[in-house]
Amino acid sequence: MPEKVILTIGTKKGVFVAESSKARGKFALRGPFGQGVAVYSTLIDTRAKPRVYASSCNPFFGMKVLVSTDLGKKFKETKSAPAFPKEDGRALANIWSLAPGDGKNDLWCGVEPASLFRSGDGGDTWEMVEGISNHDHARKWQPGNGGLCLHTIVRSGNRVHLGISTGGHYLSEDGGKSFTASNKGVGAGFNPDPYPEFGQCVHKIVAPMQVPGRMYMQNHGGWGDWEGPGGKRPGIGVLRSDDYGKSWRSIAKGLPSDFGFPIVVHPHEPDTIYVVPLTPMTRTCPGAMPAVWRSENGGGAWKKLTKGLPKKDSFFTVLRDGMDIDEMKSPALYFGTTTGQVWIGRDGGEKWDCLFDALPPVNCVKVAVV
Amino acid sequence: MARTLAVTVSVPGGLHVCCDGADEFSLTVPSVRAALDELERAHPNLHRSICDETGAVRRHINLFVNTDHIRDLDGLDTALAPGDTLNVLPAVSGG
Repeated sequence: MPEKVILTIGTKKGVFVAESSKARGKFALRGPFGQGVAVYSTLIDTRAKPRVYASSCNPFFGMKVLVSTDLGKKFKETKSAPAFPKEDGRALANIWSLAPGDGKNDLWCGVEPASLFRSGDGGDTWEMVEGISNHDHARKWQPGNGGLCLHTIVRSGNRVHLGISTGGHYLSEDGGKSFTASNKGVGAGFNPDPYPEFGQCVHKIVAPMQVPGRMYMQNHGGWGDWEGPGGKRPGIGVLRSDDYGKSWRSIAKGLPSDFGFPIVVHPHEPDTIYVVPLTPMTRTCPGAMPAVWRSENGGGAWKKLTKGLPKKDSFFTVLRDGMDIDEMKSPALYFGTTTGQVWIGRDGGEKWDCLFDALPPVNCVKVAVV
Repeated sequence: MARTLAVTVSVPGGLHVCCDGADEFSLTVPSVRAALDELERAHPNLHRSICDETGAVRRHINLFVNTDHIRDLDGLDTALAPGDTLNVLPAVSGG
């Protein structure tokens, strides 16, 4: 069967699926599924026969997990969604991340209020992961603007990295049984202590699998001119670790802003990363001119990629899960905007085209070659 | 005519999928709380669409006994009498 490129687009009004040949010329759109309900997370699970998962975050009737076994032609609800134990006292407010586990039916799910769940049967039943959900810090975390969310799950062997806003980066080295706050070098602008043990507003974390220990983080930056307690803290927004997230250092020099939401790593070149700098106060493109910025040396230098993107009057935001990259030899980037556009950046972001111009506001974009 | 002993639970269209397409149920229960408990036992997917895992009615769901909102009655402890209808309605909200 010829390879296809599948794009899932989670929006304020349901999930859309776009499909293309691997040439990535035109994309055919279908959906929305879970109509009218916000979707904050999707997963294209290619470990076995492809399955597409989507969180359906219904403010009326609660959270659901949708699954498709036909590449997003139709979806159905799994038999249950994550839920806190009755005696816990917390209630699920949103589903922010879906990630594959070890077994082909294993899933991990990050939720709001910040907690982690696991499923061993493709999302039909869920179990809360105590080590982070009932961590000593858990009741001290504060919600960010998007809510108190566990939005990032990065796994490699027994290491599990979590991104929590606002909780920071947590690391497990025992397969998720226990977690430690691991935020050395991760700044917090909204805290009198610039480098607290935990409580940072981490926006996204990625890890190239080719280089053990290498990680990149988009943190809540924009504090270079801060005049309050603790003083200025420039460059805390874009960070790199070379020791499995045990310590982090700034790689923001050269960017127009260290504030942003997504960060994406090239599938074949671990030194190549992409961010979308935003003006901290407005969280829109600096100068109303959108740009994706690329580093090809692990954050040592940055280049602005704008060919094909609007040159003026653009005030959109790209949210934390709003950008992804495919795994083709010459990969394309994809990002969705809060103004309902989806853009493709072919040749690693060298040239941009708008795939869809008038979708509902986009929360997340994921891509897979199947 | 024989007097009915049951109350009716009326389910909004958006939740019919949670209960095999049914738009109402007959239950013999003494209170709103007992009605929800019975839904949790017999129709867990429907129950979790009405209540969160703490048992609280979801913020955008309104429960009426006949035409009266339960917040104006005794909340979840509102008594149900034979022939009453417990109306489950989503709130008018969103954007």
